[in-house]
Amino acid sequence: MSSTLHRPTHNHPTVRPLTARAYVKNVVDSMMTTLKGMRITGKYLLQKPITVQYPDERLPIPNRYRGIHYLEQEKCIECLACARACPIDCIEMDAIRHGKELEWISFTLDYQKCMFCELCVYPCPKDCIHMGTEYAFVSFDRSEFKHDLLSYKGMAREAKTRMIEAEAKKKAKAEAKAAKEAAKAAESGEVAVEEPPKQPAEEPAEEPAEEPADEPAAEDDEASE
Amino acid sequence: MLTLTLPMIGKLAITDVATTVAAAAPAAGTNQLRTFLTGVKPEFVPAWAVPITAVLLAVAVAMGIVSIVAAFGTLAERKVSGHIQCRNGPMRAGWHGILQPLADGVKLMLKEDMIPIGADKILFLLSPSLVLGSLLGAMAVFPLAPDFYFADIDLGIFAILALTSTTTIGVIMAGWSSNSKWSLYGAMREAAQVVAYEIPLGISLLVPLIVCGTFNLIEVSDQQAGWFGMGWYIFRSPMMIPAFVLFFIAILAETKRAPFDLPEAESELVAGFLTEYSGIRWSFFFMEEYAAMFLFSAVGAFFFFGGFESPLTWGARAIFAETGAPLSPGGTPIMTTLGGQIALTLAAALGICVKASFGLFLMMWIRWTLPRIRIDQVMTMGYKYLTPLSLLCVLVTGVHEALIWPSLLEPWWPDFLQP
Amino acid sequence: MAIQNQPDRHEPSYTEGEARSLDTGEREYMLDVRTQDMELNMGPQHPATHGVMRILIRADGELCTGAQPHLGYLHRCAEKIGESVEWLQYLPYTDRYDYLAAMNNNLGYSMAVEKVMGLEIPRRALMLRTICAELNRIGSHLIAYGTYGLDLGAFTPFLYAFREREWMMALFEKICGARLTYSYIRIGGVFNDAPPGWLEEVMRFCDVFDVKWQEYVDLLMNNHLFVGRTADVGVIPKEMAIDFGLSGPMVRGSGIDWDIRRDMPYELYGEICADGAFEVPLGTGAKGTLGDCWDRFYVRVMEMRESIKIVRWCLANIEPGPVLADIPKTLRVPPGEAYVAIENPRGELGHYVVSDGSKVAVRCRVRGPSFSNISVTEALLPGTLVADAVAIIGSTDIVVGETDR
Repeated sequence: MSSTLHRPTHNHPTVRPLTARAYVKNVVDSMMTTLKGMRITGKYLLQKPITVQYPDERLPIPNRYRGIHYLEQEKCIECLACARACPIDCIEMDAIRHGKELEWISFTLDYQKCMFCELCVYPCPKDCIHMGTEYAFVSFDRSEFKHDLLSYKGMAREAKTRMIEAEAKKKAKAEAKAAKEAAKAAESGEVAVEEPPKQPAEEPAEEPAEEPADEPAAEDDEASE
Repeated sequence: MLTLTLPMIGKLAITDVATTVAAAAPAAGTNQLRTFLTGVKPEFVPAWAVPITAVLLAVAVAMGIVSIVAAFGTLAERKVSGHIQCRNGPMRAGWHGILQPLADGVKLMLKEDMIPIGADKILFLLSPSLVLGSLLGAMAVFPLAPDFYFADIDLGIFAILALTSTTTIGVIMAGWSSNSKWSLYGAMREAAQVVAYEIPLGISLLVPLIVCGTFNLIEVSDQQAGWFGMGWYIFRSPMMIPAFVLFFIAILAETKRAPFDLPEAESELVAGFLTEYSGIRWSFFFMEEYAAMFLFSAVGAFFFFGGFESPLTWGARAIFAETGAPLSPGGTPIMTTLGGQIALTLAAALGICVKASFGLFLMMWIRWTLPRIRIDQVMTMGYKYLTPLSLLCVLVTGVHEALIWPSLLEPWWPDFLQP
Repeated sequence: MAIQNQPDRHEPSYTEGEARSLDTGEREYMLDVRTQDMELNMGPQHPATHGVMRILIRADGELCTGAQPHLGYLHRCAEKIGESVEWLQYLPYTDRYDYLAAMNNNLGYSMAVEKVMGLEIPRRALMLRTICAELNRIGSHLIAYGTYGLDLGAFTPFLYAFREREWMMALFEKICGARLTYSYIRIGGVFNDAPPGWLEEVMRFCDVFDVKWQEYVDLLMNNHLFVGRTADVGVIPKEMAIDFGLSGPMVRGSGIDWDIRRDMPYELYGEICADGAFEVPLGTGAKGTLGDCWDRFYVRVMEMRESIKIVRWCLANIEPGPVLADIPKTLRVPPGEAYVAIENPRGELGHYVVSDGSKVAVRCRVRGPSFSNISVTEALLPGTLVADAVAIIGSTDIVVGETDR
């Protein structure tokens, strides 16, 4: 740069000559465009605000809104499809299987991680995890953001009844079989050894329970009575 | 740059104030109050307590006006900006947020008062008081009604201009002492801007001053009482409207309002000279800003929009004035009864407050419409546009007053409209 | 002192730190009043840096003598994550680098993967993709419009822009449930079909927006003070724009007629362009010099209207049909690689994906337009005022999430 200027010039705004015409134009333009802008702002000053007073009135939330999850616990079969689909592994679940029935321990979603992408919802085979319209999730404690989606722990009453019925049925079946075999053995003169009924094999429940239990399920030994 | 500017401005402004106050002293308007206090003074109170009480009372009232103006100025700003932006503004504290200033005040008082480690502590603590103090001094000259004032001095408008320009020193002190680069930028911009805009402000005020021939605000108002209280200077000559526009732009710059809010330009300088201030000290700057806006709007009202005079004051005079009452220099009857005095005071105070509030509203409206301009454009606008244009206004007004106005003095309106 | 334009401002001088040349005696005559240059640390927390970016400015009073952008405060390893999560699982991460135009990011990534897979996308899905991408372009330009006003001290345009953007976000909320990070456009189409009444509401939005658009122009773009702040400031000549690899409104503001939607058409844009449904607005230097801040702003504001035209075209031509191609639940992408560039609101957004046939990408590279666009500030800032620095940074319309990724 051969100029004697003390500053780099290539970026500096062009200084245009201030002709009389430009002078008048500047004055008129700035006044007119300012008035034009003030007309627009003044128009809105007189109109009703478009905002709402938040906690008192709320804007409607569409059905597809991706808010806090909710779980239809009776449908869930603990297949872990949602947990596998989650990009950040924020879903964890734990349940004990009793035959076809599940005894729930936890189904947690870590909302410190969750990015509300809804990818957990699509792969669900039972269509039981959904994203709700609730969006305000506030807490003073970080640990509370590890949110348990379960509406009840343990087993539902219906599930328990079904399990007892299934076990009774199985027992009856086994007893009938044993009696049959005993009769057969008596016929053949041998002594049959009575075997205890086997634990039912682990396979997903075919039908969901109709209603969730209102109260927490009773203890295991109570159920086994 | 600072070493040059600070003493220079300080010297200029302080000499201004000194001369003004010296000139004003003999006519100090707390005389009335003093007389009143002397009248009601119990025996045991010594005589020297009277002037002190008078001054303290006056300061308390001035402080009260400043606080109320600042409090409701901020509320109005938030409501106006809210509604301009299709929002509600404050709605929670009281009905439509009417108690918001109170809540803000409590919040600001309880806030931690921080002083940066590297700050020049004395200047840092002094500058908010200096800013607010000089504005309170200017408020003393501002009459709320013809009979309600602290200092009815003959150089009223001079005192206001001089005292308000001292706030600049406080701002520069704040910026320099904060030990923050953003604050320093803000302070330097403020210095440059105020120096540039004092000139067109003064010159554009010359236009009505040529007409009225006095610096005394009450007399200026008195002269505009004609024509059903609507004999305002803005209607008087064709150059008054441009002069008012120039004056208005200049006071926008003087009070650091958008589009001239460069000293505290949020998006560029974080908060300019206010960056390091918090709590009650910060609120002092804010009170100064709103009170200055009110004061300058009131000055505009005095010199262009009739001051106290409006159809209200005309009505008050028409109802309460006694026939044969002595006339003021402006030709209006002086109230002799107590009822008349009260009515006139109320009408006048209402008039000036409404006019000044409208000026405040206009400033807010402009602020929430326009983008900020750049510092070189501020300088260009001040020196290349406002100053020559206001000089032109003065020239044309001089010609108008000397040659044209005398020929218009004969009333052209029919007799039954004669007030 | 008259300051003349240098005739060819794209000389290599802009790549050097201008501040250094100041010390070599060019202002010896000023040495007696010379003060030390001040280092001004703009950011990482500063209102004008649009996020967490830091620009170190050397300033001589109000004059910038040098500038150095520092990036990386928002680095979140987005590309590395792409190599460790499954194809579909990476989709929510694409939302997050340019969070103001998440639909466009979804689109770019999905197109890249689809190109490797050789997928055929149903036509209705293409229409919905185009509508969403263009609506999101409007939303992004509304932010650019509003925040540029904020940078220059005008608050109200920002709120007005957000008012329309709010409606746009409500539309997205209805179609995909999210307001900012949509994850709506997916590999193979879109996640959901539009709910009933949605397309009609988009039509209403277009009608209202046309009216409001005129207000934006009157309130800010043509305002004399705004023109004074932006015209002749931050001029990027054509050659300089190409040298720095700028794209999007940044090059179009410099008068270079380049829009990927038209010049390298993807999806439906070739068809739309052949129909003449949209044109590419270019900077003309109407208020100052070609390539100044005002031209870039002008291009963005005009593009909003062009996007409305594209949306209208799609609404006129959309037909019922499937919205998702037939793809397996667990996505396995055949071995191969693809680079797809799309026109993001900020410029050329490129996705380069490499697959080895597994469930996870081998490489997932993103070419973010903001990253290239911000690089020009270092050359533009020296010689301008501090206030202009804010105007120039604002006119690049960067999203720091994308520069850092």
